Amino acid sequence: MTIHREKRLSYIVLVAPALIIYLAVVAFPTIFSIGLSLTNYNGGLIFGNPDIQFVGLKSYIWMFTEPAGNFYTSLGNNLLIVAVSVFGQIPLGFILAYILSRKLVKRGNSLFQTMIYLPNVISPIIIGVLFNAIIYGRNSVLMEVRKLFNPNAVFTLNTAPMVPVLIVILWMYTGFYMIIFLANLQRIDPAIIEAARIDGAREPQILWHISLPALSGVIITTAILAISGSLKTFDLIYAMTGGGPAGQTRVLSLYMYESAFRGAPNYPLANAISTVMVLISVVLIVITQRLGKTFGSKED
Amino acid sequence: MLRKRFLSLTLALVMLLSLAAFAHAEEVIELRVLNYLNMTSPNTAEEQKVVWEAFEAAHPNIKLVMENEFNEPFHQAVEAYAAVGNLPDVIYVWPSGRSTTLHTKKLLKDLAPLAERDGLTEFYNPLVLDPAQQVGGYLAMLSNGVTATHTFLVNTEVLKDAGLEPAKTYSELVAQVPVLKAKGYDTVLMANQDTWVMQSCLFSMVAGRFCGEGWEQKILNGEAKFTDPDFLAALNFVKQIYEDKVIDPSTLAVGYGEGPGLFATNTAAYYIDGDWRVGDFITDQSTGEALMSPDKQAGVEITVFPEIDVEGVKINRTNTAVLATGYGINANLEDGSPKLEAAWELVKWLVGKDVLTYRLQTGGLGTPSRTDIDYASLTLEPMQIALANLAGEYDKATVVIDGVFEGPVYTPLNDGLQAIGMGTQTPEQVAQATQDAFEAWKNAK
Repeated sequence: MTIHREKRLSYIVLVAPALIIYLAVVAFPTIFSIGLSLTNYNGGLIFGNPDIQFVGLKSYIWMFTEPAGNFYTSLGNNLLIVAVSVFGQIPLGFILAYILSRKLVKRGNSLFQTMIYLPNVISPIIIGVLFNAIIYGRNSVLMEVRKLFNPNAVFTLNTAPMVPVLIVILWMYTGFYMIIFLANLQRIDPAIIEAARIDGAREPQILWHISLPALSGVIITTAILAISGSLKTFDLIYAMTGGGPAGQTRVLSLYMYESAFRGAPNYPLANAISTVMVLISVVLIVITQRLGKTFGSKED
Repeated sequence: MLRKRFLSLTLALVMLLSLAAFAHAEEVIELRVLNYLNMTSPNTAEEQKVVWEAFEAAHPNIKLVMENEFNEPFHQAVEAYAAVGNLPDVIYVWPSGRSTTLHTKKLLKDLAPLAERDGLTEFYNPLVLDPAQQVGGYLAMLSNGVTATHTFLVNTEVLKDAGLEPAKTYSELVAQVPVLKAKGYDTVLMANQDTWVMQSCLFSMVAGRFCGEGWEQKILNGEAKFTDPDFLAALNFVKQIYEDKVIDPSTLAVGYGEGPGLFATNTAAYYIDGDWRVGDFITDQSTGEALMSPDKQAGVEITVFPEIDVEGVKINRTNTAVLATGYGINANLEDGSPKLEAAWELVKWLVGKDVLTYRLQTGGLGTPSRTDIDYASLTLEPMQIALANLAGEYDKATVVIDGVFEGPVYTPLNDGLQAIGMGTQTPEQVAQATQDAFEAWKNAK
């Protein structure tokens, strides 16, 4: 066996397991899902079912034109979550990480760090159930607190039910980004900051000219994580509001789930929704990467 | 020599007997069962022993391989089994709704020939053996009973405290709102957080009263629309209920699990839910505890919504009823095969007199499908007796919307009923959205 052939064989042997797993659990389901979205399959046997026919983009057309506008309501809510994630969690996470890394708080750094990261280690289902009990019900904690101050307080429905969801999402995931930023801030050579300080740089200048440029690549990465994570949000909202009231907190993943498993199953529609979710995610991530390139990643 | 022959013969006989015993052992039939275990009912845990283990004891040649699921995991398991063509032999089934796939794809055996062969007709409510009552149009399941999706529970203790009598008409109900409020009570409680509750447990009945019997067939046949004045009037009545505070809009924040607890603690004078909820109030036989003690239950009346004395109502004293859940058999089981016979034996057992009587006593069932159950011989709690007499409280039963129309049609209606309560949509908008969804669904078909 020649060295070239040996190298090739070892390459195949080493790559094959990962490739097979990737094809089985990522590529095949994705392609299969797209295929299913173009059929009329609505339950029963999938393989060998003579009734399954190719119907083209029918499910996609229905999704975009259905009278109740569920897709647009769900997409709008997802975009709100993306906005809160990208423009809320990331800046806040960075600010907190900066405060902690620069030791701007004199005492209790570790305590603050733990407290901010803590929501990340709690299951979103538990957080959802907790906040449902705290915020939404007629006998919620919030209502009880209101009654402490005003015994005659009457429960009224929240006319903007997405707002509490967004606040919880902001609280939940900010710690995750803070940890990422903190780890990367600690990689910046203290000598550079010390040199800047000796040259007379003040804290805002250190932040703007040293810390932020050093983290531009990380910011892009966190933005991608935030976007993809926001688009697949499911568990928290399922537990917290179930998409209600009146579907006002429904997101795309919940809409997909309901299409597949609630009432008469509409699998092609559910698969069409998931395909569109992937497409939206890809588009947003490409835009983010382009923006990153335009403004230049200064991280080495 | 003779001795040797005798020994050889004996040995051969023993071997033959062993083979026969082995062959007999081989005849044990294994049945895979997918069962729905209702974890909210206090007496469910005992079912394993009383229903399933008792069957195995009575049928030593049948071995059950059970899979018990509850709520969403059950439905997802059914759809997954259906997708790969690996349905269990015996399955817990709804007559429509979440089990639509099993019926419309004919994945369940037509039980009519077996029911006829064994002469079941004389023991069951005719609805149970009527193929038209099941969404596939054939007898895919034998039902445990008939379910009233609307019950109107009256807490006479609360009414007495407010100096009131049970309301006979909607106007009387409206007049009671300020009196009850002054005493700190809600008038009518509903757990409306989930969208299906209002539609299934109240609006379907209201639609029946405003639109008359058979209204759904007129829509399905294209003779009527959801935007017609009578359906619109039904939606407007829901708006009126909220505006009159008969049902407070804040009930949209009451989770389905909270309803019975709130009613049991005298939060409201009336409570609307399905008849299956009565089982939640009765005594748990394993602990002796109840959400409502039998004494307190005696103060609860079970009836239907009062007469709606509003313009446009066509009929009153109605309810909504559908077949309850039951059991079906995998269509792949061959006719005449021992496995099919074993599965049929199990289904007959599950909807047989003993099991239904047991379920009736433990609150797992409201109105059984069999007609030969002697209520007088049973020890029932007051709310169970009240439920058994519910049929006398109404004259007609109309359809439950999500039992007739499919998800894409009733989803905008369910959401819309909540939106009316929140004031974010008008009845006209909800009617139009439902009609649009219906037409789009019909065209897609």
